[in-house]
Amino acid sequence: MKNLSLGDKIFDVVNYLIMIFLSIITLYPFLYVLAVSLNDPFDAIKGGITIFPRVFTLDNYKEVFNYPTIGQATLISVLRTLIGTLLSVLSTAMVAYVLSRKDFFARKFITTLFIITMYVGGGLVPEYLLIRGLGLMNNFLVYILPGLISPFNIILIRAYIDTLPTELQESAMIDGANDLVIFFRIIFPLCIPVLATIALFVAVGHWNSWFDTYLYCGGNKYLTTLQYELQKILANAAASSTTIDYYSNLDPTRTMRVTPQSLRMAMTIVTTLPIVFVYPFLQKYFIKGMTLGAVRT
Amino acid sequence: MRKFEKILSYILATILILSLGVSVGINLVSAQAKVFKPLKPTPEANQPITFKVYIGEVNPNDDQFKSPVAQKIKELTGVTLDIEYAPNQAAVREKIQIMAASGDYPDLVYAKGDLALLKDAGALIPLDDLIEKYGPNIKKAYGENLKRLKWSKEDPHIYCLGAYGTDNDRTLDVNGGFMLQHRVVIELGYPKIRTLKDFENAIKTYYKKHPTTDGLPTIPLTLCADDWRTVISVTNPAFQATGAPDDGELYVDPKTLKCTFHYKRPIEKEYFRWLNRMWNQGLLDKETFIQKEDTYKAKIASGRVLALIDAGWAVGEPITALRRAGKYEYMYGFYPVTVSERIKQAPPDVRTGYTGGWGIAITKKCKDPVRAIKFLDWLCTEDANILRQWGVEGVHHTYVDGKRVFLPEVEQARRTDPYFGRKTGIGPYLYPWPRLPNYVIDSTGNPIVPDTRKEDIRKNYTEVEKKVLAAYGVEIWKDLFPKAEEYPVKTWGYLWMYPTPDEDMRAIGNKLFEYVIRNIPKVVMAPTKDFDKVWAEFLKGMEDLGAKKYEDYKTKQIKEMVEFWKK
Repeated sequence: MKNLSLGDKIFDVVNYLIMIFLSIITLYPFLYVLAVSLNDPFDAIKGGITIFPRVFTLDNYKEVFNYPTIGQATLISVLRTLIGTLLSVLSTAMVAYVLSRKDFFARKFITTLFIITMYVGGGLVPEYLLIRGLGLMNNFLVYILPGLISPFNIILIRAYIDTLPTELQESAMIDGANDLVIFFRIIFPLCIPVLATIALFVAVGHWNSWFDTYLYCGGNKYLTTLQYELQKILANAAASSTTIDYYSNLDPTRTMRVTPQSLRMAMTIVTTLPIVFVYPFLQKYFIKGMTLGAVRT
Repeated sequence: MRKFEKILSYILATILILSLGVSVGINLVSAQAKVFKPLKPTPEANQPITFKVYIGEVNPNDDQFKSPVAQKIKELTGVTLDIEYAPNQAAVREKIQIMAASGDYPDLVYAKGDLALLKDAGALIPLDDLIEKYGPNIKKAYGENLKRLKWSKEDPHIYCLGAYGTDNDRTLDVNGGFMLQHRVVIELGYPKIRTLKDFENAIKTYYKKHPTTDGLPTIPLTLCADDWRTVISVTNPAFQATGAPDDGELYVDPKTLKCTFHYKRPIEKEYFRWLNRMWNQGLLDKETFIQKEDTYKAKIASGRVLALIDAGWAVGEPITALRRAGKYEYMYGFYPVTVSERIKQAPPDVRTGYTGGWGIAITKKCKDPVRAIKFLDWLCTEDANILRQWGVEGVHHTYVDGKRVFLPEVEQARRTDPYFGRKTGIGPYLYPWPRLPNYVIDSTGNPIVPDTRKEDIRKNYTEVEKKVLAAYGVEIWKDLFPKAEEYPVKTWGYLWMYPTPDEDMRAIGNKLFEYVIRNIPKVVMAPTKDFDKVWAEFLKGMEDLGAKKYEDYKTKQIKEMVEFWKK
């Protein structure tokens, strides 16, 4: 610090101030959501909440966790995220490895097939008919199998494998390793950065998806997912606050403990927190994976 | 002596046993007498069946058929309902489309406005014959309305049983319209609030005396003009203040059935002229046309807004916030305001006439259509309605001197427990299932729907509200408004339930809707001297977008429908 000139010092201070300001701006929406979710819902209607709750309450969270199916739904969501991500990363990596091998004869053809699916989708109804034809209705596997490999991720991993020196594989082969050994002992460990990145993509996708639950396992209380139940809770809160109470002339808001807005905030926190907690562990790979896969050396 | 003792002991023992028997007998009799209105099981009650049902509606009270009422339904009919509710409104159409395309129908379905998709796919069973054979209660409950359930002139069969009761409910109380804070009328000594002029004067006088509220500037009047809410808060009041009933964006001439956009009625120009005057006097909140809905709600919840013109459901949350904060004087009363003394507002409970439209349908995949129609028929009985509205006798309600009342703890729970419907089953099995309307009095002489009497309505009122009402010499807000009986029953029903199958017309309708939302602020904010010119331009813009074509289309549709229903 001693060696710094006055100009440098001023520059540093200004720099820090700008950075702190930027972090606050970036974090503000999230802090606001957190504050509203912890604030009394009917007090929150008055507005004016910034980053601290004004009238503290846990009612919004209680409302979310009081929902009868929420336990089972969380279990299924966690299971599909864990199993789905694990299998998806493994399978995608294996496909990518095969496609990266220059000695694989159908390489071009199969790559093209995969790429076509990125541009042309089947549409809702054909997909439904396919899933039904495969007997996946009301089946846990419907969460895992249809999205097991994604062409985009394959390309990402393949590009990464291409950056690894081919000599590694060749020398392993000379030492007597077969393809599986090469994959699991050489390629897989070296690909950890890109695999971590993809694991995060896939996990977030699994964690957030609810439409497949509605289409393929709707009304099945054993296979419901967290996001699907949260959708319902939110729609219910909105319904009981605005639509007429069909059944009596009682004030429809009479028994309301929370407002849709507050509930939405609490749900946002509930759904983002797990991802936020996982993120730091994967972050170091994440950045590396993104850049390394992108540029071929 | 011995013998005598023996005999005596026998006698005593006999008396003892007899008295036991008698007392048991008395107990039995009194236990039976406790059930004032026993519910009759249907002949099929001991043949269990499960119906899969899809309901295209969210249900906050989904009890998964476990509640006491659900169990009682099963006990009386043998039917178990396996219901899937939609997770949100937007997802209903996709599910129905998939059903129609794949042929995976549940046994019963409520598809809301998208039932045509299933009907066109041939998924539905016409119900006419089934009703004829197995539906005596359906016929009795729907009566004349049954023919209004017929699909169309081309396909005059019944495919669904109406979701909004077997006849329209009567609106019990006013909720929304022209609202004025109680503190305004209390301070001004309960002035007559009948015309826009009265409304304006009350606001103006009070505002002059109290330019601030709790240290913040008072807002004399604000409206919500956030996107489609414009229609509710800015333009719908125009027909309310000019005596027309709610037919959405259109006005239907009751004699000729001719439809026009309600803005085009010359008298409504006076309403917008009044809004324009309020704006130019600074009595209409300057932020009206730029604020978002949450800002609007925040203002109301702060208690600063003297007057509102909006629907009741739209301001429920902030008013509940006021109630919970104990700011009863900042809550609102509802007044029958119109442009002049000569015009009366349409009654809040105007008799609309039955529209049928949406309802529960039986699909081709239904495992037992006869059982299904019998179940729907049972839902039309008095027993089924008492059960679904009041719960189980002895568990949820009881009869005191022949009057049906909820048990005290149940009464308490239904006003405070947000999970009441889920726990008891009172509520989840009403809409969209067939049910009797709220004006029906059953064979015990009790209203079939709770909370339909004046004293029930007044239970929701605050003391301040009761004081204000007393000063105006009425019991409930509805008393300030014209009576439904003074008006004829509308022949065309609910216009909003009419579909618009013609793509072009739908496009014109949407464009006009957007046009009004975008342009009405210009009218209200115009300088006073330019008002006539801007208004003429506004109307001309509507014509340029094809308003006439749309009106003709709807007129034809209504005329055909009324003609079809007459048969």
